[in-house]
Amino acid sequence: MEIAGKPGPLTARAAGLVACRRCGRVHPGGAQICQRCGGPISSREIKSLQRVWAWLFAGMILYIPANIYPMLLTSTLVSKRESTIIGGVIDLAHHGSYGVALIVFVASVMIPIGKFIAISYLALSVQWPIRQHSHLRHRLYEVTDFIGRWSMIDVFVVAILSSLVQLDTVATINPGIAAVSFALSVAFTMLSAQSFDSRTIWDSDRPAE
Amino acid sequence: MNDVTPPEPEIRPARPAFWQRLSVVWLVPVLALAISLGVAWQNYSHRGRLVEISFANATGVVAGSTAIKFRDVTVGTVEKVGFSGDLSRVIITARIDRDVIPFLDEDARFWVVRPQVSVRGISGLDTVLSGVFIEGSWNSQRGTARRSFTGQDEPPLVRPGQPGTQIELHARDGNKLAAGAPILHKGVKVGYIEEPRLSPSGDGVVVQAFIEGPHDRRITSATRFWDTSGFSVSLGTAGVTLNMSSLASLVEGGVSFDTLISGGDPITQGQVFDIYEDEAAARESLFNDATAAPDDLHLSVLFDGSVSGLTPGADVRFRGVRIGEVSDLIAQVEEVDGRRRIRLLVNLTIKPSRLGFGDDLSAEGVMTLLQDYVARGLRARLATSSILTGALIVELVELTEYTPATIDMEAKPYPVLPATEAELSDFDATAEGVFERINALPVEELLSSAISLMDSLERLANDQALQETPRTMNALLDEARALIGSADTQAVPGEVRAAIGDLRKITDELEQARTVAKLNDAIDSAASAAANIDTAAADLPEITEQVKALGDKANSLAVEELVDAATRALASIDALIGTEDARQLPPALTGALNQVRGFLAELREGGAIGNVNSALASAEAAADAVENAAASLPALSERLSRVVAEAEALLGSYGERSRFNAETLATFRDIQSAANAIRTLARTLERDPNSILFGK
Repeated sequence: MEIAGKPGPLTARAAGLVACRRCGRVHPGGAQICQRCGGPISSREIKSLQRVWAWLFAGMILYIPANIYPMLLTSTLVSKRESTIIGGVIDLAHHGSYGVALIVFVASVMIPIGKFIAISYLALSVQWPIRQHSHLRHRLYEVTDFIGRWSMIDVFVVAILSSLVQLDTVATINPGIAAVSFALSVAFTMLSAQSFDSRTIWDSDRPAE
Repeated sequence: MNDVTPPEPEIRPARPAFWQRLSVVWLVPVLALAISLGVAWQNYSHRGRLVEISFANATGVVAGSTAIKFRDVTVGTVEKVGFSGDLSRVIITARIDRDVIPFLDEDARFWVVRPQVSVRGISGLDTVLSGVFIEGSWNSQRGTARRSFTGQDEPPLVRPGQPGTQIELHARDGNKLAAGAPILHKGVKVGYIEEPRLSPSGDGVVVQAFIEGPHDRRITSATRFWDTSGFSVSLGTAGVTLNMSSLASLVEGGVSFDTLISGGDPITQGQVFDIYEDEAAARESLFNDATAAPDDLHLSVLFDGSVSGLTPGADVRFRGVRIGEVSDLIAQVEEVDGRRRIRLLVNLTIKPSRLGFGDDLSAEGVMTLLQDYVARGLRARLATSSILTGALIVELVELTEYTPATIDMEAKPYPVLPATEAELSDFDATAEGVFERINALPVEELLSSAISLMDSLERLANDQALQETPRTMNALLDEARALIGSADTQAVPGEVRAAIGDLRKITDELEQARTVAKLNDAIDSAASAAANIDTAAADLPEITEQVKALGDKANSLAVEELVDAATRALASIDALIGTEDARQLPPALTGALNQVRGFLAELREGGAIGNVNSALASAEAAADAVENAAASLPALSERLSRVVAEAEALLGSYGERSRFNAETLATFRDIQSAANAIRTLARTLERDPNSILFGK
């Protein structure tokens, strides 16, 4: 167990320490309960990966109807139309609102899909050690965790529109099935990202004892 | 090898079972998957089925939004608009709700609803805003569902399942008929026609028409249709008739029908009818129509005289209603009493239905009824239908006086109806005859008489005397005015006043009389004076009468006469006042007073006191007489007052405040004051009758 002789940063586990994830207090290894905040302490979250995968699958499953079914049900005096996420983006682009189209596209399509990929990659990299720099993977995790909430933009837009535009026969906007499933999908992927125990990234640098 | 210690077995905690290692969170994706699949299945299973409808064009149809409607309820949406393989038609692919799919069998019709403006109104206005939609129509029977349909360019007139009857109308030409034109019955729209098309033979027009239920029950095989398109003007004996049905039928044409006779058969779907030119032609057709022939009743009539003007086709009328027509005219040679003579046999075709018999009665039954009628005086005779043309008709009349006759049932070819003498004054009442008679009218004499009458009138009007009449009238009026304004007339009230003045003087003297010494013979004179006054008073009602009469005359007569009457009345008053009695009253009183004075003088001279007692007794009696006379004085004054009141009323009705009036009023007021004076005297006498005797 030479510490200095091996490349890579020193981990708490290697130092025989364990930190509380809530309040950050460091305990000697083997401690079960945080002395400061009373929360459970474990050197590695048990079943962390399982939860990650479960939430991730749930999010991915719900992302399918979110794209197939209409997000917005717009009915006006003369017409009635349903628009999906991609359809809305295309419509916006057709009307020349490239900026808005880009924002919606990034928030509703690129970010969720990017998160799926990122989380899958991180989870796989923990299970099957990949020789890649742990710092990069940790940075990837942090970005994923941070950016996930921005996907909710589309849901907020739908929620605001459907509550504001209720002019009976003249114009009405209602949320479709896709709005619910998309919101759930985003929520599940955020839970998935949070379930991921980022400390396991560092374990792959040094095989566990 | 024994010292080799066996390797210590590695004891590891049992690996937890797979399900124990499984996180609860896995339930979430399972649930999500289940829900997603459920939603997907739900959605798929409720998705409608695709059907294809082909149209010649698809104006306004938009994929994804154009709705398919049935009874105005959206049952589907157009999903795709494409073309048939050879680009000849537009294929519209629509997704139709699953629950109506089974009804889409071969009777389903689809058409594009667009806004339409026609004479009958505006339809499809809602599509202006919402865009066109495709309307579907099908009945409520499930059939073998089809997946492809041919759409119609025009909305079908008849919706499947609509109650009613489809009929086929044949017309000579269709230039007055347009699709959708109404079919009217008694002015009410009960159906409509479809687009007229040429009959297969090309010699006419065939129009499909639909009569809505329950009006289709009104149509029987005896129904006739006629064209009411446009308008017609007919000039006839009844004046000018303008026939126009409705604005819609003016523009789009229209067909009317009526069941003119009873006893038709119920119609079937697709029954064929003809459209006649007009209602008259339709009614005529009932008698020309071969189809109605079997019911006809054939009769013959033998006429003795000329039947010039009677032609086949002439009407047979009963009580003015056309019940049949003359079918034939045959000359027949008859042998009567050994002499041969020619009679004319007229064959009649009578429609029993026009007599109201209908189907209920067989031909034999109708004949029996007719026999019964003939027994009660029904006869056939000729009648003129038109003076201008001299055309004749056969009329069935019911005579009140008749010789008994029967229908000769044995005659050939038809039973012979007994005839009677025609009531035609002039069989040759042709137009020529009429004009001849008009020519024969003494028009010229009439005109010359009229002219001479006019001349006489003119002469009369120009006559000098007649023209002077107004002038004479004016002069007359002037004279009348002069009479009223003349000094004589106006002096009348003055004279009356003078007379009243006299009267007043008399009463004054009477009053003075009480200051004088009184004696017996004076009392007698006073009594006689009172009697005179009484007589005068008795005359006053006459004045009243006259004044009243004057008032009546004033009301009814001219001014002139009024003035005359007034003058006469006043003259009467004057005469009354100037009567001998009244005029002699003052001298008599004076004389009486002189005598009293003389008597007193004698008394003074003679000093005959012894006579005083007897004188007092006489005075007593005289006082009684005076009292009696005085009792009549109030009545006199009463009457005078009435006279004045009535005279005032008269003058009030006379109205004008002329001088004459004022003076007359003053006169009567004088009369009134005279009456008052008399009343005062009477009261004085009543109160103290002795004062007249003793001067106190």
